[in-house]
Amino acid sequence: MPDLDRRDFLRLTGLGAGAAAASACSDPIEKLVPYVIQPETITPGIPVDYASTCRECSASCGLHVRTREGRPVKLEGNPHHPINQGKLCARGQAGIARTYHPDRFAGPMAKGADGVLAPISWEQAEAQLVSKLTTGTPQVRVLGGDRGPSVNGIVDSFVAGLGGAKRVIYEPFAHDALRAATAQVFGRAVLPIFDISQADLILDFGSDFLDGGLFSLETTRQFVEARDLKKHPDGGARLVSIGPRLSMTASNADQWLPAKAGSEATVAQALAQVVRDARGGSESARRSSLAGMDLAAGLDAGAIEALAKRVLAAKRVVALPPGVGAAGPQATATAAAVLVLNAALGAVGTAVLLPEAETRPAAADLSALTQLADDMKAGRVDVLLVHDSNPVYSMPGGLGFGEALQKVGFVVSFASMIDETAAKADLVLPDLTPLESWGDAEPRKGIRSVQQPTVRPLQDGKALGDTLLSVAAAAGVAGLPQGNTHDIVKANWGSGWRQALDRGGSFSSTPTTGARIVAGASALDRRADAPRAGDGDLTLVAYAHSFLGDGSGASLPWMQEIPDPVTKASWVSWAEISNATSKRLGVSFGDVVQIATALGSVELPAYPRGGVRDDIVAVAIGQGHTHGQYASMTNDGAPGVARGVNILALLPAEPDASGARTFTGTPAKLAKTGAFSRIPISQWTDNQRGRGLVPEVSLASLAGGKEAHGEVDEHALVSEGGGHHDGPPFEYDMQNDASPESDYRWGMTIDDDRCTGCSACVAACSIENNIPVVGQDGATRHREMSWIRIERYIGDGDLSGGRERRPHPNREKLGEADVRQAPMLCQHCGSAPCESVCPVLATYHTPDGLNGMVYNRCVGTRYCANNCTYKVRRFNYFDYSREKWPGLLGMMLNPEVTVRCQGVMEKCTFCVQRIESARQGAKDEKRPIADGEVQTACQQSCPTGAITFGNSRDPKSQVIAKSKDTGRSFHALQVLNTRPAITYLAQVKRDDERSHG
Amino acid sequence: MTPPPASAVADLLRPTSVPQDSQINSDVMSVTKGVSWQWGLLLSLALIGVAQAVFSLAYQTYEGLGIAGYQAPVFWAIYIINFVFWIGIGHAGTLISAILFLFRAKWRNAINRGAEAMTVFAVLTAALFPLIHVGRLWKAYFLIPYPNQRALWVNFKSPLLWDVFAINTYMMISIIFFYVGLIPDIAIARDRATGIKKFAYTVLSLGWQGTGRQWKAHNRTVLHLAGLATPLVLSVHSVVSWDFAMSIVPGWHATIFAPYFVAGAIFGGFAMVLVVMIPVRRIFRLEAYITDYHFDNMSRFILFTSLICGYAYGAEYFVAWYSGVEFEQTSFWLRAFGPYWISTWIMISCNVIFPQLLWVKKFRTNIPLIFVLAVLINIGMWFERYVIIITSLSRDFVPAAWGLYIPSVWELSILAGSFCWFSMFFLLFLKFLPIVAIAEMKELIIHDKALAAQEAH
Repeated sequence: MPDLDRRDFLRLTGLGAGAAAASACSDPIEKLVPYVIQPETITPGIPVDYASTCRECSASCGLHVRTREGRPVKLEGNPHHPINQGKLCARGQAGIARTYHPDRFAGPMAKGADGVLAPISWEQAEAQLVSKLTTGTPQVRVLGGDRGPSVNGIVDSFVAGLGGAKRVIYEPFAHDALRAATAQVFGRAVLPIFDISQADLILDFGSDFLDGGLFSLETTRQFVEARDLKKHPDGGARLVSIGPRLSMTASNADQWLPAKAGSEATVAQALAQVVRDARGGSESARRSSLAGMDLAAGLDAGAIEALAKRVLAAKRVVALPPGVGAAGPQATATAAAVLVLNAALGAVGTAVLLPEAETRPAAADLSALTQLADDMKAGRVDVLLVHDSNPVYSMPGGLGFGEALQKVGFVVSFASMIDETAAKADLVLPDLTPLESWGDAEPRKGIRSVQQPTVRPLQDGKALGDTLLSVAAAAGVAGLPQGNTHDIVKANWGSGWRQALDRGGSFSSTPTTGARIVAGASALDRRADAPRAGDGDLTLVAYAHSFLGDGSGASLPWMQEIPDPVTKASWVSWAEISNATSKRLGVSFGDVVQIATALGSVELPAYPRGGVRDDIVAVAIGQGHTHGQYASMTNDGAPGVARGVNILALLPAEPDASGARTFTGTPAKLAKTGAFSRIPISQWTDNQRGRGLVPEVSLASLAGGKEAHGEVDEHALVSEGGGHHDGPPFEYDMQNDASPESDYRWGMTIDDDRCTGCSACVAACSIENNIPVVGQDGATRHREMSWIRIERYIGDGDLSGGRERRPHPNREKLGEADVRQAPMLCQHCGSAPCESVCPVLATYHTPDGLNGMVYNRCVGTRYCANNCTYKVRRFNYFDYSREKWPGLLGMMLNPEVTVRCQGVMEKCTFCVQRIESARQGAKDEKRPIADGEVQTACQQSCPTGAITFGNSRDPKSQVIAKSKDTGRSFHALQVLNTRPAITYLAQVKRDDERSHG
Repeated sequence: MTPPPASAVADLLRPTSVPQDSQINSDVMSVTKGVSWQWGLLLSLALIGVAQAVFSLAYQTYEGLGIAGYQAPVFWAIYIINFVFWIGIGHAGTLISAILFLFRAKWRNAINRGAEAMTVFAVLTAALFPLIHVGRLWKAYFLIPYPNQRALWVNFKSPLLWDVFAINTYMMISIIFFYVGLIPDIAIARDRATGIKKFAYTVLSLGWQGTGRQWKAHNRTVLHLAGLATPLVLSVHSVVSWDFAMSIVPGWHATIFAPYFVAGAIFGGFAMVLVVMIPVRRIFRLEAYITDYHFDNMSRFILFTSLICGYAYGAEYFVAWYSGVEFEQTSFWLRAFGPYWISTWIMISCNVIFPQLLWVKKFRTNIPLIFVLAVLINIGMWFERYVIIITSLSRDFVPAAWGLYIPSVWELSILAGSFCWFSMFFLLFLKFLPIVAIAEMKELIIHDKALAAQEAH
């Protein structure tokens, strides 16, 4: 037998299963390779779930890693984990691609004499590092992110053992301003925990909590709970968003106050003052404390006073501190003002909790990073070890980290795949991915989460901890723990290791302490906004992209492809400017503009929006990588060319008052270049033309309808939906749109009121159903393959527009947050327009009411797609099954789902593979499929539980119970009488203050 | 429009002196004689055009339809436009050879061979496009309900399947009709040919001797085939129109589509007959056979069908407005004033406005003018399909999913190839078979002589 090494073996088993799925479509014969010795825990065809921990952001959510025949194929949330409670955001789910990524290093690399990285063996690589560490007394710095207690312990003891070495914990989004503010206000440098689930008014000072900010999933869940209409007939919590840009969070707000960038502190301080004055102060005192505030914050006169009244009228108000997009020169002051406001409102101790102690090491603030860069530039650093971060990319441009790196004698990168830092390193010791290695995480006291490998390493990497341990041993560094990373994690865990592996960790409530405002903090000086020095009439706002995060998401194909939830753009960078600014410059959608700061300039297409202030230009952080197949333009035929722009490079290394890193507040100049660059944008318009695709009902009409009829008030929707909800001429009966003999009619209920637009469902669907990414070119041509999309409209729309030759969403208005978002997927119509027109019956109705799709039978006439009224059918324009899964990515394919070949149609199947697997289980046990037993991928991942799936023939099922929502339930385009299996519940308009002034 | 008595035909023919039988034979057959360099050049160009389109098709089949300009939600584009366009072209030929035959419109005899040939070649072109259009060309046979053990069957509810039957029937009837009509003329060619050509003509003429019995059988066959073909003129394009009308897409879903498409097809087809026959007549000196009278008649037909098209366009807009359905209203509003307004106004100008010139009798016999008009009408009819297909699809129910289609170079290559493919057949036809139905011309003249004799008494 020829040499069959481990990797080939894994590759072959992967191929075999993939081929079983793919062979349905095409002809090549590939061989299934059976196990020679069947592993005890694996039954081919039965998935095995392992509990682990997500490492995509610092929240450290719990994972259930679904593996098939030894390969992780899907990540889902761990229901035991208190932070994410079984849900997982889009970023977390897409992280699975890291393990199979074509950018991964096959093994260690060293820079040769020609300056090019070339493969070497692990022995040689480690020997190189050892010799650098043992020659003389080198100054060593270790730069990288938090890796959880155990690996941190190894790194720390390695650094301690070296003597004179220093570890710099580096996280681009470190929330250092909030930590500093907590120290100022409460005297303890910890990150407070916010609980908005009991609130009735939430003030968001640019917190990004729906944009993937700090503990985003947890806060999102609390937000929706606080607004649940069953629990709160009055609509529950109201959200007021304050900031210069209509972000995801502001899009979901009941009111958006478009305050100037950096003026959030002013607003918070004013409110705090008002709240204090209200307890004994006079009306005139309040007036005086608000004098001039509106103007300072760039708001309409009286806006803050109106907000203050609102705050005073509410009972349980919580204010959320600024996130990345609002971290300007006043970052700490704003966070402090927000904390003071919370204290004044009495939220501290109930909704704002201070943990007893921080469990995560505090990341270095910008001052510390500047110190490091200065040391490097001065040649005071001989060896720099970089792990879990990409500082060359993510450091502010003003720091000059790239040049500083060249002054360092020896740079070692532990990146598992190529990035800008690894490309400049002298030695690359590739780390394993989180799905391949051991670790643990403790995002908060009481929440200990274990990270366990679920697949043997697919590349010749080595876990960071193990590398350091063996290097230490070879270099004679003492004081490191015994054993390998696994042993150390296990030893650190203590008792209950076995249960921890089962449950994903040990979870208890986080002990918190009471907090008292330190003396003087309440009288925080109300400093005037000291504008940053610089030339330019606009303020540059670099905000955190929901998916790309600090830039680490850019290498994940699905994170590039899934449209940004706010702008619906993908694959590129764009400059958000107001309509007034675009008129002033004479640019329109896609015209390339140049943004210049003191540090240089970038060129990127303009995206005029009503949803940004006239005095800012907003750019998402995350693009502009020069390395990586997906992160850069390599896959588009231009290796080494940046995809989009790295806006961080234009930011000065100027910390705020407490030394925290800032992302906004830099003055910038904008100029037209005359070039044009088409932005790939997934939806043509945000005008729903009164077609009622995502309607809204007011609380009043909802309550009125109930009282008057005690039944569905069909007119509540008719009046708002432009008449398109007029019922068909006969009674709609979802239950009968399946075979009369069938026990099942699968149906879904989607609650638009709970949908925040986060797009976790899109990621879940893509990964579950082997949906390829089509790339920038495909996205530009509207050829995205995603089976589910989030449609985003502004208001009910009107009959204007439609004549544009390019996508042109332009209905946002400053200060108005009338954003409508809803998932659109195959409606599995009872009377499906697609079915009757297919000449070959490739799409047909199954007995249980699904709109089935037989890829094998499809000839590709595309008639079904034309006739689909919801436009949810996708066509394989190319052989995506071959082209879009390069390298090992093909091993990530879900073997339960056919990989579609060139020339066939596809669409949402309601996760028929999950239905069938449940049916199999039920059949074995001779029982019907239980309610809730089948969870579609989108439903499973939805952080807010907006999606319910089940059997519509079962009158007691959840899907039926939820669909009978008085006055809210409707079917998309009901007038067409397609008899969809999906019932939508209309979004609720909670109050009339969405527009300011 | 009652056909004039045969004597009027004779009047028209007389000035150029009544040709003798042998004169007709040699006049018509002279077309097939010799190969000029111009013909060779044209044929080479056509072959090159076909070759480049074959390459494009091969590349498209290999790469996938992504090389075409499709952008969701426009899933049908130039290939379907071409399909409808070419199938429409064919209709005039069948109308001339079958319906006018049954109505004893004798004037058709001079042009019917050319028109029938055009029909056959147009259908041969059109039939390619559904194949070029589908995503999996190699599985296109799934569309045929062939017996198989997998219990796979086709969907008889789908208009596309009706298309499969309609096109195949139409193609078969057209070819048979064309061929049966040709048999006596092939025999003439056989009698004049030598060598391998003689052998081929001998086989093809099926032993035609011109006996009374054969003529009787021949005439009866032609009559029956004409009877069979007549309903096809109406049905085939009705079925094609149902591809659109049976769907739910705003702009497609209209009951007027069947008559509208049939009228449009005849309109476009007659224009194509003119485009083809005017140069042929001039180059091969057939003025004696294809006269002003024919052009006048065809122009009247064009004018009449143009009015029907104009009415249909108006009716569509009226119904969209009158229905009160916003989807329809938006679709039609954007059809006229949206991103594709140019196509719409090309369509309206070429199909409705310009043909109104034909109200003037002088213009109807002004050959250069009607040639230009015919070309414009063909452009207009192509854009009619473009407008119907592209604008309707690009703006349908879900505004978020709207899109815009721009043809790719590959599609244009195949579009050009389709004209070359058609021309190739026509050029070959010119050199191998008589362009004017000799036997029918003779019949006409005998008739004429008999009438003249009667008048003399």
